[in-house]
Amino acid sequence: MESCAQKKTYKAKDYKSELKPIWCPGCGDYTVLNSITRALAELGLPPEEVAVVSGIGCSSRIPAYTSVYGFHGVHGRALPVATGLKLARPDLTVLVTGGDGDGFSIGGNHFLHACRRNVDLTYIVMDNQVYGMTKGQASPTTAPDWEGSKLTPDGTGINPFQPLVVGLASGANFIARVSASDPINMAKIIVEAIQHPGFSLVQVLSPCVTFRPEQQEWRDIVRTAVVDYTDDAARAARRLMTDDGFNVGKVLYKGSRPPFRPEFEHTDGSVAELEARFAL
Amino acid sequence: MSEGSTQDQPINSLGVLLAHALAMETDAADRYGELADQMEMHRKKGVAGIFRRLQNAEQKHLAELEELTAEMDLPHIAPWDFKWGGESPEAIAVGRVSYHMSVKGAVLLALDHEKQAYEFYRRIANQTSDSEVRRLARQFADEELQHVAWLEEWRDKCGPDDEKPLDDPDPPLSQE
Repeated sequence: MESCAQKKTYKAKDYKSELKPIWCPGCGDYTVLNSITRALAELGLPPEEVAVVSGIGCSSRIPAYTSVYGFHGVHGRALPVATGLKLARPDLTVLVTGGDGDGFSIGGNHFLHACRRNVDLTYIVMDNQVYGMTKGQASPTTAPDWEGSKLTPDGTGINPFQPLVVGLASGANFIARVSASDPINMAKIIVEAIQHPGFSLVQVLSPCVTFRPEQQEWRDIVRTAVVDYTDDAARAARRLMTDDGFNVGKVLYKGSRPPFRPEFEHTDGSVAELEARFAL
Repeated sequence: MSEGSTQDQPINSLGVLLAHALAMETDAADRYGELADQMEMHRKKGVAGIFRRLQNAEQKHLAELEELTAEMDLPHIAPWDFKWGGESPEAIAVGRVSYHMSVKGAVLLALDHEKQAYEFYRRIANQTSDSEVRRLARQFADEELQHVAWLEEWRDKCGPDDEKPLDDPDPPLSQE
């Protein structure tokens, strides 16, 4: 007798909400949203088994535009929220989305420790090297000579943050860089990132067409990385340290560190029991 | 995960052709709809109207295809295994639009992608060894040509105002 139980198939649009994005036309974040929904459909994950957590910023609006569980948190705190969620509900697939300002400035220390803890999360950072939502200030990844903001008329003069190198050094278990101009490959890499155990970091070069219009040229500047991923962190570090930031489209590092999955004691869930456990 | 074939091989299976056609029409309808939504959100009614009309045309194609394939068991092809590589030919790349885009600019962009869709089906028809795949691919190519003709007509009707980049009465300003 044939089984009646068949795995339900999903389309990308099954993961989109009815809310229309308000990003600027041409923004790379549209592409990231499409790539995430394509990836989830390809994995066949039921929407109720997925959560997207974000902080603040243009790209952090993604949870509102998806039909999965979402948490639009406070600035820079997406990773701690996602960490707590994944530890409490390890059955959920937890994605974290946000921008370079949210993730590497106010959320910078959380980023380091999320990499170090290696909880099974997929962190998709839409890096446009600018604070777009607050009208165009230099972010941690902005080049030191960018003069586009009146707050830094002569550029910041500060070395930009190198998220992939820092992520690798801090313990991220999967590292990739993709371009918003290649959404299909981005979807493929997001699938790999979700499937890889531990903390997966995907940097997306996602142009801000309004405050960094010159980034529209990224689609012509980026090149497919010529080397395949390595599982050797030292080799990956050497590659990333000599990289100009435009090698995209491939996984750069896959580690084998086991994810952090603490065992919890089961309780009856009562507040009284919890209070008793914390009593001095 | 995928039962698709490699990108440099001809399509000799009706199911594979229809899976490609369904994906292409779905992508086109969705993308034109997204672009129409974006332009409506930014009060660019002229450009939004073009994309909305194209969305409706693609949805009609899609509905016909869905009816044709309703009882068929089509192969699953992962997004990255389709013959076109990258996004499907009819889907305008999100990064190629702008709220400054002129009406004529939108027409030309859509025309470029409709031509790519036509070229895709024409190539499939020329390469295949299967007569039914050839017949259907030619039919799909002809349908894309109708969109091409319609857009060319629209392009030719565009006046000087349709070529001007759209004004922004409230331009983005860097914070003081």
